[in-house]
Amino acid sequence: MVTQPSRSDRRELVHERIFTAAGVTAAVALVTTIVLFLLELFIASRASRAAFGLPFLWRSEWNPVTEKFGALPMIVGTLVTGFGALLISTPFALGIAIFLADYADRKLAEPIKYLIGLLGGLPSVIFGLWGLFVLVPIVSKFEVWFGKLVGSEALVASGTTGVGLLAAILLLAIMILPFSASLILESLLVVPTELKEGALALGATKWDAIQNVELPYVQKSTVGALVLSLGRALGETMAVTMVIGNGMKMPTTLFDPANTLASAIANQFLEATSPVYVGSLIQLALILFVIAIIINIVARVILRRGVQQ
Amino acid sequence: MTPRKLKNSVMGFLVAASAVLLIAVLVVIVWHIFISGVKYLNWNFFTKAPAPMGESGGGVFNAIVGTFLITLVAAAIGTPFGMFAGIYVAEHRGRRFADVVRLCADALQGVPSIVIGIFGYTFLVVRFRSYSALSASIALAFMFVPTTTRVTEEVLNLVPSGLKEAAYALGARQSSVVWNVSIKTAAAGITSGLLTSMARIAGETAPLLFTAFGSRYVEWNMLRPMSALPLQIFIYAGSPYPALQQQAWSAAFVLVLLILLLQYSAKHLIARVLRVKA
Repeated sequence: MVTQPSRSDRRELVHERIFTAAGVTAAVALVTTIVLFLLELFIASRASRAAFGLPFLWRSEWNPVTEKFGALPMIVGTLVTGFGALLISTPFALGIAIFLADYADRKLAEPIKYLIGLLGGLPSVIFGLWGLFVLVPIVSKFEVWFGKLVGSEALVASGTTGVGLLAAILLLAIMILPFSASLILESLLVVPTELKEGALALGATKWDAIQNVELPYVQKSTVGALVLSLGRALGETMAVTMVIGNGMKMPTTLFDPANTLASAIANQFLEATSPVYVGSLIQLALILFVIAIIINIVARVILRRGVQQ
Repeated sequence: MTPRKLKNSVMGFLVAASAVLLIAVLVVIVWHIFISGVKYLNWNFFTKAPAPMGESGGGVFNAIVGTFLITLVAAAIGTPFGMFAGIYVAEHRGRRFADVVRLCADALQGVPSIVIGIFGYTFLVVRFRSYSALSASIALAFMFVPTTTRVTEEVLNLVPSGLKEAAYALGARQSSVVWNVSIKTAAAGITSGLLTSMARIAGETAPLLFTAFGSRYVEWNMLRPMSALPLQIFIYAGSPYPALQQQAWSAAFVLVLLILLLQYSAKHLIARVLRVKA
């Protein structure tokens, strides 16, 4: 005898359908979000493309008064601060990760890891506040000292504000340090102990084992971690906005006030009134979005390969 | 000492030195926030809205209310999307589309906050024709969803497959296995993930600049412009008045406390999960 499905069976079937639908909806929504961002930013920035076309990318004039806009100063500012910060913070990030993986015992490593998490969790605006009131005055003193050292009158006179590329680079370096250190540490921790012990048994010193066994093993995932950190640095907004000085011109030295793509938007969007100005700022956001998506996907692919190997 | 051994000691020293340097930097930053923040704290700071221009006193009650409202609403909007997307990815592991969803979640995590702010402006503020706290919450939800997705997936993957298989063997459907077995086992982990994500969005400024916009008044209506602690810090930090700059430090102190509290609760929950497992 075939029994009719009971009431609770039917209810469960409905639950099952709703559940599946919710999962698929959420998953599709997540993927659609990226497309939605692209479309929305593309449409909202059309005034800028109509006025300047593709040369927007390499024109170096950004002038709100004459309404001539080119993104090159911001692109340069973004790349200089991003790579500068990465260059400064990478040796320290590697050092910290190696220290935690190979030198510190649990009792020491746990609190340090906690501190790294704490530093990484501080909001960008708080780094900005600290940068503006503590770091910038120090940079300003350094500028004057440096100006006297190289005998540059201009630097001594004009460089006394302290805001500019250098302050932004230093602040960014501090900000991405906990991020890259913890990513590198993660990959160091999966290196098989047998490999290291093998090297030690052959008479290698601790550092020999690290240099010749451990680091080559994590090469790929370290590159992935650094690319990911670079992505962070390129898109970092508030802290950079507060210390970079909102300079519109192409920077010529590290002491110049400048702008990154992100800081130009944060500094100027509320002042922008004409459609071309607004469109150009949104165009900057579009460029930043595309760069960020590409960098993140590349980094994840590298990281995944590193783990599989 | 052979060169090899010398190198060993030197590198050991350098590696330890970099750790010390990190701690030093952290201590300096936290010390500044603590010292400068506590100095100007008083009861008015927590209970009053900003004083009218030119008058002294006043507080950031408006921003405290705003941060709570905007963060909670953003979490409420983002949680279902993030959790279900996470469940989807965890349940369909190995399938192409699940991989794509995971990659998208990772990529979205890396979207700069200012881009989210601009998107919130063009997508919501322009359409509603008004700055509003709700558009800020929706913008923040776009940051909240990808992190929640990844956390949910990771926690669900930790659920022992034996448990799930036992439920399936009893004839349970997928939805009931996920609800009654996986989610219940992973509940503390998921909650902890939600708290961590909340701690992250509570400190965000850039998505609020062109959506919540800020307000000098204590505002409870989500459809109107509203202030928030990060926003207030940014505005006061750029102010020429020392009194307002001091309030920026105090607001930073309060914000850091709030974030630490969220992170601490998250960590506490995780610790409990691990203890149960062991």
